[in-house]
Amino acid sequence: MSIDPTTADRLPPPAACQRLVVTLFAGMAEIVGARRLEIDWHGGTVADLRRGIVAARPAIGPLLARSAVAVAGRYAADDRTIDAGAEVAIIPPVSGG
Amino acid sequence: MSAPHSTGLSGGDPGAPSPLPAEAGTCLLVHTPIDGAAVLASVSAADAGGNVLFLGSTRGLTDGVTTLSLDYEAHEPLALAMLEELRSAAMARFALCGCAIVHRLGRVAVGEASIAIAASAPHRREAFAAAEWLLERVKAEVPIWKCEEGGDGGRTWVHPGDMRAGVEGGG
Repeated sequence: MSIDPTTADRLPPPAACQRLVVTLFAGMAEIVGARRLEIDWHGGTVADLRRGIVAARPAIGPLLARSAVAVAGRYAADDRTIDAGAEVAIIPPVSGG
Repeated sequence: MSAPHSTGLSGGDPGAPSPLPAEAGTCLLVHTPIDGAAVLASVSAADAGGNVLFLGSTRGLTDGVTTLSLDYEAHEPLALAMLEELRSAAMARFALCGCAIVHRLGRVAVGEASIAIAASAPHRREAFAAAEWLLERVKAEVPIWKCEEGGDGGRTWVHPGDMRAGVEGGG
């Protein structure tokens, strides 16, 4: 079956796979054994990133579920889109003071 | 205070007091001991009748468990930006004359201060309230973490609660 040209024009271009570098801190870094985690990234939201991280490193799932995600220097909600090359960090529950 | 003020975030000499806030209140992350008197002095103002200094220190015994030291780390750029935002918010909310927040990073021995918050206001009530409000906000929001080093040699990162509650819906 062929796709008619009108429909094809409306299809999004295939997303190029890139590497997203995620910075880890404190107990999260301890679990992973590294301060950076590289994730295959086809574009998406914070929620997509959370799923990608759990798939890559299931052990951090429970702590990740209680953690915030910072994108470009701001805490970001799950529906926030992450641009390729964005600065991303996982912020586990804080304990300063 | 004769020493020149510095806005550097870390001192070179691990035993030397941390650099002083450069103006009538500022925010710093430091890797050396906090000079509480200097932090308080940095917020003094002619029209401030109430001047509060809070020092949070490493506690040696919690519920019968011995702590030798706390080891702090931070997402430094984000933590500093958030401290500055909180400071600005407190200045407006409590009509302060001056305000400073200094948090220490790295190893903090029992009895040493990990955080200093100074607030000055025309009257005491606002200064007290601002210091407490700031401390609670820092403890709940700012990306700084402590690792407890116990008497048994164990190290435990402290991750209480759930960070997502305050993010979802708030953008």
